[in-house]
Amino acid sequence: MSILFYASALVAVLSTIMVITRVNVVHALLYFIVSLLAVAVIFYTLGAPMAAALEVIVYAGAIMVMFLFVMMMLNLGQRTIDQERVWLSPNIWIGPSILAAILLVELLLGLITTDATIAHTMVEAKEIGIALFGPYVLAVELASMLLLAGLVGAFHLARK
Amino acid sequence: MNVDLFPLVLYSVIVIVLIVALTAVSHLLGQKRKDHATDEVYESGMLSVGSAQLKISVPFYLTAILFIIFDLEAVFLFAWAISIRETGWLGYAEVFIFIAILIAGLVYLWRAGALEWRSQRQRDDRLHTIGKSGVVNIDKKTGKAHKTEQPKQGGAH
Repeated sequence: MSILFYASALVAVLSTIMVITRVNVVHALLYFIVSLLAVAVIFYTLGAPMAAALEVIVYAGAIMVMFLFVMMMLNLGQRTIDQERVWLSPNIWIGPSILAAILLVELLLGLITTDATIAHTMVEAKEIGIALFGPYVLAVELASMLLLAGLVGAFHLARK
Repeated sequence: MNVDLFPLVLYSVIVIVLIVALTAVSHLLGQKRKDHATDEVYESGMLSVGSAQLKISVPFYLTAILFIIFDLEAVFLFAWAISIRETGWLGYAEVFIFIAILIAGLVYLWRAGALEWRSQRQRDDRLHTIGKSGVVNIDKKTGKAHKTEQPKQGGAH
């Protein structure tokens, strides 16, 4: 299980780096799909099959479709690629990268000093259902209100 | 995980074998030609014109957003469907309200015209061009649709 975890974690990190560095938007999106699938495998190895399935259905499925539609709508071909190449010059990304690297070092130090192991607590999909429609029933109700607001809001924003 | 993975493995093997077999058979039996038109872009028999970078209209985008939201609502229903006995009447009542709110949203979108492909103006134009018999009249000289008179409500006939 831990080999599976480290392999998919490596795939997730590498594909996410590719998402950031690609100048062609559609190539970046393809890497992003790989990244999401790798994260789904990580969820599965950590004992959350429901979260893994939702990662694939909602993120790799629905939200990627959404991103692709936006890319198609704003599709300008070579011009956006050139623009992206200009934006990816080192003097722009070096600052945030150094700051993020400091945070990464801190995180790694924290991980090394604390004796952490990969948890293997199985959370069955059925338990999630029981929790959602048992103690968290009000949260589901609020979620439905939020989704309704999302539907109406999305319609009126797109209409404008 | 005590899930029997054998059917899934068998299914995957059958799919892969089928794809390989189909590709191999068409590779072996299909004719291979190398004419000047072989490597041209095929677009339903027409010569393709212009680039693939088109402006896609907004209704596609709206449809994608609505799809995501209904997809998320389906996620809650999945969670309920597998724990239907354990959650009992409370879960049933909750999912009833949940679906009711979902339907209210759908009815609102339907009434507001979010599911219509044409804009309001295009719909009005279309109503004008359809004659009384439901046929669109095209002027042979101009190639444009006739503007037929709208039948008056409760007319003086």
